[in-house]
Amino acid sequence: MLVTWRYRLRNGLMEKFDPRARWIFSLAFLFAVTMFWDARFLLFFFIIAFAWYFSSRAKWKETRRGWYLIGFILFMMIVINTIITGGGAGGVVPPGGHLVWPQGGTFPLFDWHFHFGLTWERLWFAICQVLRIGGISAIFLIIPYTMDPRVYGVTFRGLGLPDRFAYSMELAFRYVPTLARDFGTTLDAQRARGYEIERVKGGIVKQIIRIAPLIVPVTMNSILTGEDVTNAMDLRCFGTRPRTWLNKLTFHWQDYALIGFSIFMLVGAVIAIYGFHIGNFWVPYFWLKLAE
Amino acid sequence: MQKKSWKFGTREVVYSAIGAALYAVLSLATNWIQLPSAGNVSFRPAIVIPLFFGVVFGPIVGFIAGFLGNIISDLIAGYGLWFWWDLGNGIIGLVPGLIAVWMTTYKATKDIVWAEVFSVIGVLVGMGVASVSEMWVSGADINTVIFANFIPAIVPDLINGLILLPILLIAYAAIVKRSGR
Repeated sequence: MLVTWRYRLRNGLMEKFDPRARWIFSLAFLFAVTMFWDARFLLFFFIIAFAWYFSSRAKWKETRRGWYLIGFILFMMIVINTIITGGGAGGVVPPGGHLVWPQGGTFPLFDWHFHFGLTWERLWFAICQVLRIGGISAIFLIIPYTMDPRVYGVTFRGLGLPDRFAYSMELAFRYVPTLARDFGTTLDAQRARGYEIERVKGGIVKQIIRIAPLIVPVTMNSILTGEDVTNAMDLRCFGTRPRTWLNKLTFHWQDYALIGFSIFMLVGAVIAIYGFHIGNFWVPYFWLKLAE
Repeated sequence: MQKKSWKFGTREVVYSAIGAALYAVLSLATNWIQLPSAGNVSFRPAIVIPLFFGVVFGPIVGFIAGFLGNIISDLIAGYGLWFWWDLGNGIIGLVPGLIAVWMTTYKATKDIVWAEVFSVIGVLVGMGVASVSEMWVSGADINTVIFANFIPAIVPDLINGLILLPILLIAYAAIVKRSGR
């Protein structure tokens, strides 16, 4: 089994920023954008998100798998939320509104009359959902493609995570290729003994139990290895004083600028929503004119 | 030596990392294993890893195995980062970890039953938190959250977790007995 990280150096503008500054920006963006349902504000965030996304220089063929998943989730949400259930969209869209089919409709073959409660306001809400979720997705989808897995530990240590947690994170990233290799070896060994993972006979329970000969040896083997690693770390006095890290991170002027912008964005969002009471769900006049 | 629920020493650091890496690798590895009887439902047998690491090594190890393992798995698969779903996976490992101090032999019926009960609670709470977050992030209504997020998430997790957890606990009991650890 081949496990490869999605990261590779692309020399994009995004990579010029310190990973800590990028996390602060991403989280500030998430908290800021989730305060709004006004499409004008959401469009602003959407543009920022995709400007950020394209600064990575990641190609479509690299990221398309993630986008397909997001597209599927978004489609399901909008179809169920807006078209089928119309459940008030989490209390955002006011009740009532302008019906898309005020007279209802008739199934041509059976002559069944139906009343469909879809409103223009809910359709506009669906557009807002696309802008909001699309923006959030662009910010977070690009992280694995542009952030070196070797710096996750030191990054989160720099963001205030305790040493032990950050080290655990670092260790986990380093274990992945080893465990993937162990899994491949176990799979090959079991197959050599006549194990058939692809056998389709049996119900769900049998299918799941059939996976046990793979999961059990890999898990138990890694637990035994873990004891040795623990002993080795204890013998080297792990945790008795603050750690030093192989990769050092240093803030530069562009990182301070990004952090400043992140704070401005978040504080601005809070002031807009709680100070000026703007940014809540809003439907433009031209859209409601379509209902007439 | 007496067990402590919330201890996070060297052993816990190592097993958190192993649990997370294992959860990530097995999630990715079992993605390509087709379960024809399950239709289009996404099955993830690896969900047993945070449950198992929680029950055996405690709540912090269980939490990190689920939380970090889900992050790594998504990073490798290229799905980006979805904090609330990562948190939900962390809770799945944390809740069964609450009974780690009461575990005795791991293969006794009582131990297995309690592990299963807390695993069910962990899956319900973890996926509940993750699903409800969609109301805040995506503006989904409660019906969508229940039928499009919560139920499709808990059903495969419960089936996989409840079947595979006793198998892993019995295997672990044999290792404990043999190694005397």
